[in-house]
Amino acid sequence: MKRSPARLVIALSVAAVLAVFILYTAIAGNATTQLSPSALRGATGHVALIGMVVGKPTGDSHSVAGMRFRLKDVSGTSSARVLVDYHGSVPDLFKPTAHVVLSGRLQNGVFVADNGSLVTKCPSKYAPANSKKT
Amino acid sequence: MAALGRVALLLSFGLVAYALVAGSFAAYTRRRRLALSAQNALLAAFGTTLVAAGVLLSALARHDFSFVYVAAHTSRSLPLGYTLSAFWGGQEGSLLLWLVILTGYAALAVWLNRRSRELIAWVVPVLGGVALFFAFMLCFVSSPFGKAVAPADGAGMVASLQNPYMLAHPPMLYLGYVGLTIPFAFAMGALLSGRTDERWIVATRRWTLAAWTFLGVGQLLGAHWAYVEIGWGGYYAWDPVENAALMPWLAATAFLHSVMIQEKRGMLKVWNMVLVALAFNLSILGTFLTRSGVVNSIHSFSQSPIGGWFLSFIVGCVVFSVVIIYLRLPLLRARTKLESLVSREATFLYNNLLLVALALTILWGVMYPLLTQAVTGETRSVSKPYYDFFLHSFGLPLLLLMGIGPLVAWRRASLRALGKTFIIPAVAAVVTGVALIAVGLGSSTPGLLAYTFSAFVFASIVLEFTRGTLATGSLWRLVGKNRRRYGGYVVHASVLLLAIGIAGSSAYQTIRERGLKVGQSMEVAGYTLTYRSLENTQHSNSQSTSATVDVTRGRTHVATLHPGKSFFPVEQDFGNDVSIYHDPRNLGDVFTIADQFDKNGTLFLKVLVKPLVNLVWAAGVLFVFGSLVALWPDAVEQRRLAQRYEGAAAART
Amino acid sequence: MTALALALGAVLAALVVVFVARPFLREPAPVSDRLDEQGAVDRLRLELLEERDRALSALKELEFDHRTGKVTDDDYREQVGPMRRRAAETLRALEPRAEPRAAQVGSGR
Repeated sequence: MKRSPARLVIALSVAAVLAVFILYTAIAGNATTQLSPSALRGATGHVALIGMVVGKPTGDSHSVAGMRFRLKDVSGTSSARVLVDYHGSVPDLFKPTAHVVLSGRLQNGVFVADNGSLVTKCPSKYAPANSKKT
Repeated sequence: MAALGRVALLLSFGLVAYALVAGSFAAYTRRRRLALSAQNALLAAFGTTLVAAGVLLSALARHDFSFVYVAAHTSRSLPLGYTLSAFWGGQEGSLLLWLVILTGYAALAVWLNRRSRELIAWVVPVLGGVALFFAFMLCFVSSPFGKAVAPADGAGMVASLQNPYMLAHPPMLYLGYVGLTIPFAFAMGALLSGRTDERWIVATRRWTLAAWTFLGVGQLLGAHWAYVEIGWGGYYAWDPVENAALMPWLAATAFLHSVMIQEKRGMLKVWNMVLVALAFNLSILGTFLTRSGVVNSIHSFSQSPIGGWFLSFIVGCVVFSVVIIYLRLPLLRARTKLESLVSREATFLYNNLLLVALALTILWGVMYPLLTQAVTGETRSVSKPYYDFFLHSFGLPLLLLMGIGPLVAWRRASLRALGKTFIIPAVAAVVTGVALIAVGLGSSTPGLLAYTFSAFVFASIVLEFTRGTLATGSLWRLVGKNRRRYGGYVVHASVLLLAIGIAGSSAYQTIRERGLKVGQSMEVAGYTLTYRSLENTQHSNSQSTSATVDVTRGRTHVATLHPGKSFFPVEQDFGNDVSIYHDPRNLGDVFTIADQFDKNGTLFLKVLVKPLVNLVWAAGVLFVFGSLVALWPDAVEQRRLAQRYEGAAAART
Repeated sequence: MTALALALGAVLAALVVVFVARPFLREPAPVSDRLDEQGAVDRLRLELLEERDRALSALKELEFDHRTGKVTDDDYREQVGPMRRRAAETLRALEPRAEPRAAQVGSGR
């Protein structure tokens, strides 16, 4: 009886899938590093910053000057604070003590966030509560 | 009354432990009465768990804030419906919901199949084992019956959960997740009892289909909730919590298809075992991801203590599945081989591989942050571009296969036959493609491909129904005699609608943001939106600020929208009130978000025009209809199957 | 309140214990306590029944596919003969007089 081609098909397909996958990660490789304020010092490149809002934000995110606020580590006792410069939509849950994520770059000691990348988290409650661009 | 709840849960724990231990012993040593006793224990566990659930529900309804759980998730001013839905709002309650549904399903499945004593003898301990984990968690790690001094009022419910979709979404999802345990238990039961026949598949066919439908509907409800309540303008964000439900659903889709091959051709027995175990384990993983906060993303940063327990349980289940399948490998030897790479069996195989590949790449994406953290100490994560790439790479071929599969014959199809059957759908696809490019929709390649493939699939489905009706004389008879196949085609059609809706609303959407003062307008994709006025309103448990915005298309006024924000004083929480115009002309939406109300009277308005998005929700309705058709009991088939399995027993001298 | 709760709990526990013990209470001295065992003959018979059903349904589907044009006349002629023979084989294998011809039935062409 002829050997079943099924095994061959499966093996080839698995190889094809892996090839697609490897190709993607090699060429596009869009993984972003997630950092907290204490780890941000000296970071270069495009990263995601995770932290808790401290103090009152100043300015208007929709104005040219933008909004500024400070972040500290979500957990742990680090005293590191980072100043964030933000333009774009601000989610409703944003306020002091909110946990947030932003993407952007560290420039001259200030974290300049990508426009509209501010996302707030819902700590320990069941539902996701955020607003972000698709 | 909390004491009653605790006792009831302890009883459940004892009962499922008994079902596991005594049940295994009874099955192994072939003791009939002990096996029956274990079966009774599993049935009784449903009763005791129901009592515990009743205690929690009544505490919620009575606003008994001495229950820590009730105080943490509800408040006096919360409407009754939402108060009751707080049952599954917190971790402890959702674990209890899992156990209620699991014991309920287990009781029903075991009861319906009680005559297959040998199979059930092993199914009972497997179900007992799974239930044992949840009962253990509820009794000793995460109890819903903690008591404290009652505060004057509860903490209330997060604003975004106070939405009708949140009443249905979690229970639906759970009915799906838990439902996948039943085919898993029967599969493992069949292996443990050393049986080689298809009885476990026949017994669980409808369970799998029902669970899969619930899981699919649950996800659509969740997506719709995110769309109208969270309101960022989208319905799926590739968040780990969302992916948690998608992965088992994809595995279950693969399983649903490949079981058909096993039934018809006796092939892929090992593959089916692997798939059902994969679907089950992914559903446990899904529950774990949603509840433990272990993966940092949308959900929470705080790590819950149940994470470690869940992980151990998952590892245990995976090891168990692998070991059992490995040990019983000789029993699963197939007699028939794949005859041709161009056959319906082969297309099902390709479909399976693509579905599993997609599920695994999503799994990789979800796990990536944890893996990088563990290996390099630095957390890296992937986002939308990663998922979109693989959705296109695997999803688009899957879409096309949906149209190819039905046109190909079983065993082997000659290329000539294929040529004949493919002509019409292929022409439909090409014509659609050309027409779309001519109209200017060639801007997005994935979008264009999605539409072209959809045309192919649509033509092939229409052809199937037409040819079938001509051959049998009436559509009713056609579907009546072959509910699974034609119900399946209706489900395929719903997936089509979903694909078209997704393509339209993502590849071809327009987004604009503008700051407007009263009287000013903005233009988006042919619509003009004018900011007219501002209102403040008081509701039973919230205050809202909203803008009145007029929408015109050309010269015609089509809608008045009220995007705004609400404030919930008890929870000290804000809610986003988006306002949407459903345009019947393009089945799309004009989605407005009041981003910000400035002190000087400027409204920052964000508008998204999303063509065809309402097809996504319409797909849900068609999906349920198709599943019902496929699920519908067939008297002729039931008789034949009963004969087959009773007949074998009767022939025993 | 707690006293009531515990009392109810005790009642629940009692009910549950009785229910679990029921098989032993109903048959304290049964004729046989053996769980039905599927012997090799039964197993084989079940497989044969499944083979038969598969062969018959495959034949039905071939006919249907041919009627709806999915299978060409040539392909149909080529496949229907062997399929009918196979179906006949599975029916014969189930006849009560004959020994289950495992070897032949297992060929699965």
